[in-house]
Parts: sequence; C-alpha cells; structure tokens
Amino acid sequence: MFEIIRSNTRINFVSKFSVTAVVSLLLVAVSIFGIASRMNYGVDFRGGAEIQLKFTETINLDNLRKDLKDAGFKGIAAQTIGERSQNEFLVKVQGDETNLNQITEKVSETLLSSYASKGVEVRKVDIVGPKAGAQLRISGFQAMLWALIAIMIYIGLRFDFKYSPGAIVALFHDVTIILGVFSFFHVEFTLQTVAALLAVIGYSVNDTVIVYDRVREHEDKNPSLPLSNHINKAVNETLSRTIMTSLTTLFVSVVMYFFGGLAIKDFFLAISLGVLIGTYSSIFVAAPVTLFFDRIKGAEEKNAAKA
Amino acid sequence: MKRSWWYRFIFLIIVAVTSVVIILPTALDFQEESNYPVKSKINLGLDLQGGLYMILGIDFKKVYKDEVKGYTRKVESLLADNGIASTIGSLSVIDEFDPMMTLNLANASDMEASKAKIHEFYQGYIRITGDTGAQLQLALTKVLKTQIEEQSVSKSIEVIRNRIDEFGVTEPEIISQGNDRIIIQLPGVKDIERAKDLIGKTAKLTFNLVNNEVAPTTIQDWITKAEASGIVFKKGDRFSSYLAKLNEHLKQEKLLPSGWILAFEKTVNKLTNELESKIPYLVEENTTLTGEALQDARVQIDQQKNEPYVSLEFKSAGAKLFETITGENIGRQLAIILDGNVYSAPNIQTRIGGGRAQITLGSGGFNRVMKEARDLALVLRAGALPVQLDFLEQRTVGPSLGHDSIDKARFASLVACLIVFGFILIYYRVSGAIAIVTLGLNVILVIACLVGLEATLTLPGIAGIALTIGMAVDANIIIYERIREEIRKGVSNYKAVESGFESAFWTIIDANITTALAGFCLLNFGTGPIRGFAVTLLIGIFATVYTAYFAGKLLFEFYMDKVQGEDLSI
Repeated sequence: MFEIIRSNTRINFVSKFSVTAVVSLLLVAVSIFGIASRMNYGVDFRGGAEIQLKFTETINLDNLRKDLKDAGFKGIAAQTIGERSQNEFLVKVQGDETNLNQITEKVSETLLSSYASKGVEVRKVDIVGPKAGAQLRISGFQAMLWALIAIMIYIGLRFDFKYSPGAIVALFHDVTIILGVFSFFHVEFTLQTVAALLAVIGYSVNDTVIVYDRVREHEDKNPSLPLSNHINKAVNETLSRTIMTSLTTLFVSVVMYFFGGLAIKDFFLAISLGVLIGTYSSIFVAAPVTLFFDRIKGAEEKNAAKA
Repeated sequence: MKRSWWYRFIFLIIVAVTSVVIILPTALDFQEESNYPVKSKINLGLDLQGGLYMILGIDFKKVYKDEVKGYTRKVESLLADNGIASTIGSLSVIDEFDPMMTLNLANASDMEASKAKIHEFYQGYIRITGDTGAQLQLALTKVLKTQIEEQSVSKSIEVIRNRIDEFGVTEPEIISQGNDRIIIQLPGVKDIERAKDLIGKTAKLTFNLVNNEVAPTTIQDWITKAEASGIVFKKGDRFSSYLAKLNEHLKQEKLLPSGWILAFEKTVNKLTNELESKIPYLVEENTTLTGEALQDARVQIDQQKNEPYVSLEFKSAGAKLFETITGENIGRQLAIILDGNVYSAPNIQTRIGGGRAQITLGSGGFNRVMKEARDLALVLRAGALPVQLDFLEQRTVGPSLGHDSIDKARFASLVACLIVFGFILIYYRVSGAIAIVTLGLNVILVIACLVGLEATLTLPGIAGIALTIGMAVDANIIIYERIREEIRKGVSNYKAVESGFESAFWTIIDANITTALAGFCLLNFGTGPIRGFAVTLLIGIFATVYTAYFAGKLLFEFYMDKVQGEDLSI
C-alpha cells in the first residue's frame, strides 16, 4: 500500500485547538477589516460598464488612458488584464442609469475608430445599471444565506444539532478569509466569485461532514468516552482521505487557474483558497466549535442533574 | 456472485452506451444532415459562442399614471352621457405605484349617482378611494394593475420576438423574470448594435386596405405554387425575407394585381417560438395612413351590449385622412400592420368623421374579448413596445473570446484530469484504474445529461465539470480508505470491499447532499452563466454518487470474482 499518511498516525489535534483558534480569529478579524475597508466590487455589484479589448499590435497602457482622456471621457479607468504581451485591456466606464449605455457605446466607437490600424477588437462588453447591480448584490448574498441555513438544518437533522454550529462557523470562517484575501490583493469581487464561494461552501461542508460522520460513528460505539477522544480518532482516521481529496481538488483548481484562461482565473483563485482553508477549517474550526457546544451542553446537563 | 449482478451490469452498460450515443454528435461535430439518430448537440452559452444577453426593465410608474389619466377621461365622458357635468382635476402621487386622479363634480348632489355609474361600468377596473364634497378620487384596482403588468410583459415579449425573427437567430430566448423584467438571450449574434437598435426601436404601424376582390382560395393557390418552386419558410429564417421573396416571385409571375402585396397574420407558439399558422391578406402596397396619425387608443365598454371595443382617436390631419379612406371603402377591411405583420383587420362599416373610430372585436366571451381589446389598444397606442423598456443589464461577448475561452478551459480540464488520473493510479494501483473508469464514466454522464436536458454549457459550467472531477475522486477515496482500514484489521479482501462500500455509503450521501444544497441555492438565486455552473455542479453530484458508488461497486465485484481473486491491489 502506498500511503501519504501512515495508517498508525495518532496526532493529538484537540490539544492544538487553542493555538489554531487564535490564528483563525486573527485571520477572520483582519479579513473583516479588509472586506469593510478595501473590497474591490466588480461591475456586477457596483453598476457601471466594462469593455474588454484586444489588440493585435503592442499598445501602451498610458497612451490608451491618455487617448481616452483626450477624447473627453471622464471617470474612465483602463487596466491591463492577463499577460502584458497579450495586449488585452479592460476599460471601465462609470455612469448613471440613463446615460451608461450611450457612454459605453461612445467609448467603444471611439476606441474602434482610433485604434483601427492596431487591430483592435472589442471582445466583451458588460453593462450593469446601478439598480440591477443592487439586485445582483442582494441575490448573491441571499444565495449564500439560504445555503448556510439549508446546510445547518440538514446537519442538525442528520447528525445532531450540536454539530450544526461547528459547520456553520467553519463556513463563515472560510468565506470571510477568502474575501479577506480578495480584498487584500484587490482582486475584483464579481458574480463569479459568489459562485466560487458557494462551491467552496459545498466543498468545505463536505469535508466537515465526513469528519462528523466518523465522530458520530465512534460516539455511537462508545458513548461513555469524551467527545474529544472521538474527534481525535475521527480526524486521524480521515486524515489520509482529507489530504488525498484536497490534493486532487487543488491540482484541478490550480491547473484551471493557470491554464483555464482569464475569464475563470478569479473563480479558481477562490476555489484554490477555499480548498486549503476549507480543509483546515473542517479540522481546526468545525471540530473545536462542536466540542465547545458539547461542553456547554454537558455543563447544563450536570447543572440540571444537581438541581 | 450475486444474482442481481447481471441486472446492474446491464443497466450500467445501457447508461454508458446511451451517454456515448448522446455525446457523439457534440464530440465529433456531426453535420445536421448526417443520418445519425441523435441530432442535438450541446448548447453553448453566450460566454462560449458570443452573443448578447440583456435584461430589460419595465417602469410601471409611468404606465399607471397614463392609465389612471385615461380612465378618468372615460369616466368624465361616461358621466356626461348620463347628464352629470364634471371636470378632471389634479393628479396626486402619494404612492408611485398607485397614483390617484380627482374628478370635480359640478353639482355635489350628483355624488351618489356618479358613484353608482362608475361602479356599474368600471367595477374591477377603477376604484373610488375617497370623496370630499363634490370631489371624487379615482385609482386603479389591483386586479387591473396585475392585468396591465402581465399584458405589458407578454406583449413586449411578443413584439421583441417578432423583431428578433429578423435576425434569424436559431435559439433566441426571451423570457420574463418577475413581473417587471424581460431577459433576452441571443447567442451567436454578431451585429450587436443592430440587435439593440431593433429591440428598442419604435415599430412601424400602418393601416392598409385589404383587397376583397381576390378570393382567399386564389391567394392560397398562389402560395402553394410559390412553395412548390422552393420559396418556403423554415425555422431560423427571417420572416421578412421570406415575405419579400414570396411577393417578388408572385410579382414576376404576374399574379399580384398591381399595387397590392401579400401580408400575413401570424401566430407564434409562445413556448417553442415556432410559427403555428399564417393567414394571408392581400393588402395595398403603399399607404398614407400610419401610426403617426393616431392620438390615442383605449378600451371602452359598449353600455348596451356590454362588450368591450377599442376606441381610436386621430390627430386632426389624421382624422381627415381617415374620414376619406373610410368613406371610400365602406365594406372593406382595413388591416392594422405592425412591423410588417397584420395584427388585426377590422371591417369598415361606415364613413367615420370627427377623428373617432371604434374597432369592435369578435365574440368569445367578455374576458377573452377584453384581453384582445387591451392587447390591440396597447399596440395601437404605443405603436411599438407597449411600455418603455430600460436596459438594466447587458452583456455582450465577441465570438473570438468565446473560442479562446473554450479552447483554454478544455485544455486545462484535460491537463487537470490527466494529473488526477495519474495520481490515483500511483496511489491505488489496480483499484485506482477502476476509479479512473468510474471517473471517465462520470464525465461522459455529466455531458450526456447536459445534452439530454438541453442545458446550456457556460464557462463556469466547464469549471463545474472540472471541479466535479476533482471532487468526484473524493467518493472513491472515501471508499478505498475504508477498504484499506478493513484490510488492516485483517478481514478477507472480499469482506473488506463489501464493508468498505457499505460504511462509506452514508458518508458519501451526506457529503453530496450538503454540496447539492449549496448548488440549489446557486441555481435559485444565480443569473445567467452562474446558473450554468449550478446545473453542472448538481448533475455532477448525481453522476458522482452513481458512478463512484454503484458503478464502482459493480466493477469491484467483477474484478474480484472474475479477474483476480485473493490479492487486492489497493
């Protein structure tokens, strides 16, 4: 048998919870700060327009900016996307509900005519009115909220309600840190990111449930032993599965990140982060929270017994 | 070997073969004319083949204001007909979605009689929200507002669909979202500016006389002859170019009387977007009476017959023209033509002076006629889209970007697959090979489901498939790790496999159901390509449970019984 994790591995995970709790809390706190202060919302949520351009000849970004400015457009930002040698640019246009369309049209017309000799091509235009942007923002957060509620209920019914908070805290933890990384590196937050976050929620809860499954199995077999024993045993037993699965999923998402093209880069950035953080959280966040709730419950039962 | 083995084996073979049969046309890019039994290929989303995606919003605030004004005017004339003098007062907008108009009665003593009259004729349409002395406050009823919303949306969709026919887009999708949004998806449209113009433009409304001297059977004969010579309308063609060809042909054959051409009243199936029937009319080629001449068009109710009709009001120049035309053509039909399509062809019953005319509709129950009348009034009044549409969201993708995306994503998925397969093979040896077979089957099954369900493959959808591969391995790993545990405990290989699968079952189910829950939320709240991701994710989950667990178990049993026996390579 070829093994990454030796089958007789017995790591005392529970003893490390106090350290990882501090690490997690710090990361979450920094992330929340980042999300609140410097989140880079994409056109989907902010409203506005984006024009994606590709040139066959080499174009200087500064010249492109200058030309747009000289043409009299205000509040327009241009940036390179992808490899510099690819000569792909993104032009962002701001405007209100009434004139966004016209401005965007004018900008693309101007670019198409003034760069005709440079082999310009408009590859993609996204226009989202501010109202629609607000709508998309709401439905994006609704999707995540409902996913969390549905998962909480399922876990509560299938396992025990003491398991639900652990899973949910782990999911919040994962989503917050991914968003934190996005805000820190100023990666754009778009509808695709929401999809990626939901995929991460799916992945992370999957991971958590597999550990829970084992914990419950041991609990059923040996109800007298404390939960921390079961958790340690379960995490150790599933460790090789956890690492294998994380590795294969990570392979896929890293390959997709590097070779899948610009359009899905950010999506797989979130997934890659999600796999790493989700794997960590299913051991070091979900389990301790479950333990915490179990101890509260235990203390209550003791008190009740005393009284 | 268990007896159920063969049933499961045959089922697996059927699933696999069916999947391959379904995806072959997509994989090998068959031509449509080939005589392969399966015609459908995978539907590529806008982000992969380029095209236009729009969300249009309807602003009902203005619509309500116009409606309440129109009804107040009608109430005024209703009261006048009954000897009650009143003047239209001010419009007050407290709630933008429920504007109110006031009507000042000349004599306060008419209040009760007025209320009774309004109740009698506009019950269900107008509600009296208050009366202060000699002043009546009128507003629209909820029922009417809902009716207006529904009809505006469905009418807008119909008008837009008519115009999109002009593009010959094969798979246009025009659907309503909520009660005030319309989503338009035009895959493969290259001339995006023209498409936008066409959707937003004001339609051309004309009134053309119908020639009743040529018998309908004769007209049908002409069409049959033209069709015999190859002029037929196929799905995906532009109706207008078919019509032009047909008229050109008939002119060449010298069948059409000079100055007259054919036009059709079409009915289109709202679900399949296919032409259901077309009624030909021989109409005058040029007309002087156009939608410009119209001032207003509203639904009225005939008090004696209790029948709805459409009342037209012409501008002064239009009124004179209309009087002349009707005077000279009593007994003939006047076709109302919108964007080249005959909408309705009422009979001219008398010379109509004074700029007011009525269009009575056929019978068929009050509600049906009412609906027809409202539709016709909407079309006449706006001459075009029944309501003002705002472009809320618009995404266009050039075809080259789509190609690039597909190529890159396909390449990356392939690389990712190979890495995962290699890894599994090294780690689990022969059992790994079984896992690879089930993973391969998984991918085939997902794609076959996408084709079969006519789902649309989007870029995030490809991402979903790639992710499914990464995560589907998980089910195999869970099972294999359990089997390894059992072997370590020292049980026989056969037993180890048996209990490995058994104890992994609920874990796999639990893990996948929770992922599916996230997928359903995504499907419910997502828009556009994101839904594509959700669909592949969900299909992927079902495929994973089947292939990894059921197909995997079957293959293991086969392998242990027939091939190998004692030694298990895992």
